[in-house]
Amino acid sequence: MNPSTEDRFDRSAGALAAEETLRMIASLPARPGLEERVKAGLRSAPRRGMVIAWPFASAEGWLHSTGRRAAAAAAIVLAVAGGGWGVYSHIQVAPVPAALVDPQLPNGTGRFSTAGAMHVPKTVEGPMVPAPLVEKQKQPASRGPHSPKHAATKGRGPEDLPGAEKQRKAVE
Amino acid sequence: MEIVESAVHDEARQHAEEAALAALVDQYASTLYRVAFSVLRNQQDAEDAVQEAFLRVLKHRETLGEIRDHRVWLVRIVWNIVLDRKRRAKTRPETDDIADLARVLPAVGLSAEQRASALQHHARVLGCVEKLPAREREVILLSAFEDLSSVEIAAVLGVTESSVRSRLFRARNLLAELLQHKRSTT
Repeated sequence: MNPSTEDRFDRSAGALAAEETLRMIASLPARPGLEERVKAGLRSAPRRGMVIAWPFASAEGWLHSTGRRAAAAAAIVLAVAGGGWGVYSHIQVAPVPAALVDPQLPNGTGRFSTAGAMHVPKTVEGPMVPAPLVEKQKQPASRGPHSPKHAATKGRGPEDLPGAEKQRKAVE
Repeated sequence: MEIVESAVHDEARQHAEEAALAALVDQYASTLYRVAFSVLRNQQDAEDAVQEAFLRVLKHRETLGEIRDHRVWLVRIVWNIVLDRKRRAKTRPETDDIADLARVLPAVGLSAEQRASALQHHARVLGCVEKLPAREREVILLSAFEDLSSVEIAAVLGVTESSVRSRLFRARNLLAELLQHKRSTT
């Protein structure tokens, strides 16, 4: 017998022995009198699945007949409806005024008033032009690094921009 | 007059149901007990499970007439009860299992040494069974009942017969592996 066969044999023997144990446990009998104990437990169990045990219901099942059950249901409905009517009839309803008076409005038209406020339209402000620099224009023109050509390229103010002269004249 | 007839009819029906239930208890209580004990492995717990199963039957006794196979139906009820109890109960130590088995195992013709050895073997087997996956464990436990066919086991578990067979095959292989592993480590 090679090792693998032996191994397989061991495994199957082990499984068989295990199942034998389970069979033995499954065949263990109950203690004597099990049936009687179960029946006694069933006898002491509640007969019907009622939410609240009716105090006048006898063991034979007083409420098991259809007619009496209907009568009991009708009595419950009457009790509930009667109680509801009793509550309703005792409620004091507040007196309703004979006529409703509308409040007096200040303008009498029924609409909102302006309350004397005047509508003032927003005005658009005109273009702001800076004051002309007259003294600079009066200086003698000289050639060199401070020539107007240089000034135009180096530091040109808003009054020296093209079209500023025309604007100035228009303002004057 | 109609009320009286109805009451008589109700009473007669109630007596018939009680008689049918008593007959079921006489016929199947011991089977249900064995099923419960195989899972719970405690006599009192198994009896309680049987009691609970019949109380459930009592609640639904109007449907007794519609049941085709009472035995399978009852086994299914008690099976669900014991699984639920087992799930809720804390894990019992292995020594408790051995002590319970020692109380109930037949000791006729065995010496004290042989008895102790048998108990150890059974405890080892049960320990390996507990390690099986739930599906395989359930099938192998139910298959130990020789009076339950694979069709009936399938009905109890709510699966097909072929899946019962395949689970049983897997369970046997796994159990053999676990036992061999346990033997090699001890």
